[in-house]
Amino acid sequence: MSDNPLISLPPAAEEDLVRRLQARDESAMTLFYDRYSAALYGVIYRIVKAEDEAEDVLQEALVKIWNAFASYDPTKGRLFTWVLNICRNLSIDKIRSRQHRVGSKTTGIDDSLTAQRQAAPTAFRPEHIGLQEITQKLIPEQRQIIDMLYFEGFTQSEVAEELNIPLGTVKTRARTAIKVLSKLIR
Amino acid sequence: MENIQDYIESGILEQYALGELSAAEQAAVEAQAASHPEVRAELAQVQAALGFYAEAHAITPPAAMRERVLANVMAQIAAPAARPGTTLRADVDALTSAPVAAAAPAASRAAAEAVIRPMASAPVATPSGRSNWAVAASVALLLSLGANLLLYSNWKNANAQVVALQNDQARFAQTSQVVERKLGDLRQENEVLRNDEFRAVALAGTKTAPTAKARVFFNVATHKVYVDVRSLPALPAGKQYQLWALDKGKPIDAGVLTAATATGEGLQHMKDIASAQTFAMTVEPTGGSVGPTLSTMTVVGNI
Repeated sequence: MSDNPLISLPPAAEEDLVRRLQARDESAMTLFYDRYSAALYGVIYRIVKAEDEAEDVLQEALVKIWNAFASYDPTKGRLFTWVLNICRNLSIDKIRSRQHRVGSKTTGIDDSLTAQRQAAPTAFRPEHIGLQEITQKLIPEQRQIIDMLYFEGFTQSEVAEELNIPLGTVKTRARTAIKVLSKLIR
Repeated sequence: MENIQDYIESGILEQYALGELSAAEQAAVEAQAASHPEVRAELAQVQAALGFYAEAHAITPPAAMRERVLANVMAQIAAPAARPGTTLRADVDALTSAPVAAAAPAASRAAAEAVIRPMASAPVATPSGRSNWAVAASVALLLSLGANLLLYSNWKNANAQVVALQNDQARFAQTSQVVERKLGDLRQENEVLRNDEFRAVALAGTKTAPTAKARVFFNVATHKVYVDVRSLPALPAGKQYQLWALDKGKPIDAGVLTAATATGEGLQHMKDIASAQTFAMTVEPTGGSVGPTLSTMTVVGNI
């Protein structure tokens, strides 16, 4: 609790939820929704940028979490990390298939990706106070890179290409940004 | 075994946490984490930091969504268990075509039981014939059930493969766009280098940076200016190199160098300059200054 003011579930409650899901207790999904939907929906929405699609992805993710729960290994990481990755992957697949549908041949990487990045802030309305603090602690270059890596599914080398900066700089900025974030947790 | 600190600082743990690695690379990272507590701790910290970032972006979904999503999820996660039972019931009903309402088996009963019981009320001649029929019917049903499962899993696999291929294709399209853009840049650089109208101006290091070296290509007719860095000292955070043209001793801003140009990655097109006799570079705060900070002059050269 003291080491982590934000992440919604204390370890003991998380273990209990994991046990219930491992025991295929369907009612645990309601608890799961109440605990995690805001965090997951926030991430999904930030990636797909449309409410109806975010709802579809969240629903798809919950079904996938239930069906694939046997593959979750608590020794490898927290439940929250695992479900976040499922949501991110599904959301990124969603925007990629959307790009694919509209025709990746005619839309250049610059147009489609830049358009998406610019579209984000208008519809984006975070409610957590934590964000304010983070905005002040991360310098814009760090935040831009973390957002591209985390919310837009870029790899580090794609970020380097897109921003026209050396890969080493991307790696350093990403690492520094993550260091700043872990300091904020404490 | 390589140095663990180097491994941690290589950035691979960040790539792992961001989901950039292939399955084999992921397994390698997991193996490192399993055998080195420092790697494990660092990885947990990276994951916690990203989780924290995610949570800072939390948005409570609309209230009406809760019922909708949970109802759909419950229906979907309950479905695979219920479906074989109902299909079986329908098949059995069709087979017997006799009134079996009284003997209707509970949905939770075992499949074999459900198959055999309705047959008892069917008009069949001898007890031995009846049991043969029952066995044959159960075998047929089980076979069809097995075939359905097989087809379903094949279909799921095919579907997953299509999605994977689509992702590959989208990624490939993105990569070729990047390559095309790079080629365009190179072509443009080549035109500058081969054009006789451009005059190459060598900029040599000053006392502050004796080994620094750069070139400016200046086209007197079109006023176009390109800069090419050979070697410049690394910059402190928040600083950028800025190019100046000196025209009769008066400094004119020719624009700031991107980080890539400053490390010598290629030519950069700068601001047009009408007339100049000298070019020089200074270190300025990110974004550039209105006037040059002369004490930071790094390279200078006359036309």
